[in-house]
Amino acid sequence: MWWKTTSVILLIYAIVAGLLVPLKPGIDRVSPDSALTGSRLDMQIHGYNTWYSRGNTADIRVWLQYDSLRAVAGTDIRVISDTTLAVSFQLPTTLPDGGESDMLNLIVSHPTDGVSLLPSALEIEADTSASSSAANWTDNPVEKLHVVRDFSYPYRNVIYETIRNTYFHVPMWFALMFMFLVSVVYSIKYLTRPDETSDQKAVAFTETGLLFGLLGLTTGMLWAHYAWGKAWSNDIKQLMTAVALLVYAAYFILRASFDEPEKGARLAAVYNIFAFSSLVPLLYIVPRLFASLHPGATGNPAFGSQDLDNTMRLVFYPSIIGFILLGVWIANIRYRILRIQQLADDQD
Amino acid sequence: MNTNFANQFLTLLRKEFVIEFRQRYAISGIVLYVISMVFVVYASSIKVGPKEWNVFFWLIVLFAGINAVVKSFVQESGTRQLYYYQLVDPSILISAKIVYNTILLMALTSLAYGSYSVVAGNPVKDPGLFLLVLFLASLGFSIAFTFLSSIAAKASNSATLMAILSFPVILPVLLTLLRLSSVSLRLIQDTAYRKDIINLVAIDVILVALAFVLFPFIWRD
Repeated sequence: MWWKTTSVILLIYAIVAGLLVPLKPGIDRVSPDSALTGSRLDMQIHGYNTWYSRGNTADIRVWLQYDSLRAVAGTDIRVISDTTLAVSFQLPTTLPDGGESDMLNLIVSHPTDGVSLLPSALEIEADTSASSSAANWTDNPVEKLHVVRDFSYPYRNVIYETIRNTYFHVPMWFALMFMFLVSVVYSIKYLTRPDETSDQKAVAFTETGLLFGLLGLTTGMLWAHYAWGKAWSNDIKQLMTAVALLVYAAYFILRASFDEPEKGARLAAVYNIFAFSSLVPLLYIVPRLFASLHPGATGNPAFGSQDLDNTMRLVFYPSIIGFILLGVWIANIRYRILRIQQLADDQD
Repeated sequence: MNTNFANQFLTLLRKEFVIEFRQRYAISGIVLYVISMVFVVYASSIKVGPKEWNVFFWLIVLFAGINAVVKSFVQESGTRQLYYYQLVDPSILISAKIVYNTILLMALTSLAYGSYSVVAGNPVKDPGLFLLVLFLASLGFSIAFTFLSSIAAKASNSATLMAILSFPVILPVLLTLLRLSSVSLRLIQDTAYRKDIINLVAIDVILVALAFVLFPFIWRD
């Protein structure tokens, strides 16, 4: 019983904390987003979840960053509203590498909001006719940042609030792998010593795993709708996941194609082991061979290194455990239903 | 014991060839199947560019492969299967079938390649790599389809079941093959294609291991 209670508590915690904890303050966009070297740039910064009017305006600091060593500090910082900040930059005459154009990052350090960063915020183009200005790239390095500790999720451009889906989409796949793994264990058990219980448990866990697969695909499509622009973009990860679910759908068709239940159970157990070993290439090897938008594919960082900070871990891990326990619970109920049906059939 | 195993294996392999030779309609059927599919592809598309050539070729090979392998367990009656069961070790039986089907599929893919080149041209720029891909395809299809046909043969609706079971499972293999074949047609530039070959061989090794471990359980009736 204790684990059912644990599952409910963990899931309630994951849903409440996952949906209610705010995002860190971030920078949504800047205008203008391009400039020439040597010019004076008046920029408006549009923040997200920010409270720019709190604290002392003199303590706010802004940089346009070229790389970890070189940056230009902003001057004449004025707070227009809680989410809008006006700032001026005197841009140096040439780019540090002497190139034609480059992207600069924007860093805002605020006494109460902390540090926020917009990668590739400003496109800067070299103006060959520019008269030399006094500004240079290294006169005001990025240092003495305001570090603010609070309980909030990281702000990421493009995904914004949908970062909360991490607590629901990713645990589905952990739960799916767990359910299919348990199912395979019961299938192996059935092959070594055939008895109805192992077979019914294998079926119950496969059904629950398939349910998590469908939910994982749905939450993934919802996420893709916001982050990739389309719910279904024939991304290799989406395709291979759909195929993996087809492999398991075939399991049920195979079971149903035999007149003798014993034969069906045995061959389904064999196929289950086969299907599980095809799951790894489908979900984790093939998607890495092709271009994909999904994290963990070619060119994309694997999940965990950048996208998961310590605050998120506090919700993410409990959510995984909660969903796995919920899955075991569902599979248990499903197994009992199969058992009762079996007993009822035997009595007829 | 070792020579005994080798003897059993060779006898079974020869048996497969003899059966095939005696029932010539089956192999002729598959050959005709390949040739008619090549013509259907050619007739339905006015001009076959290298990209389409690649896709159509692998579709022909996939369908021909499934149809060629599906009969390997269906064609022999239950009583004869029982007879084999008493005589030989199941792993020898499945390995003989896999080797035989690999040879059959290699012949079929070469035939498909030849006839397809005649009607639709031959855009292959790296024949060595392409032939290696054909061999890996025959091997991978043979292992997966032989194993799955042994499951499907036990059911009444074996043809449908064969398609349902094999298409999703073979897809990673097929996608990797398509990619390697695109490299040999110079459709994509990929200097790291050796990694794909290793992946393919790794999948084959896993499939063979599974077939060896699991086949005795399918066999036992």
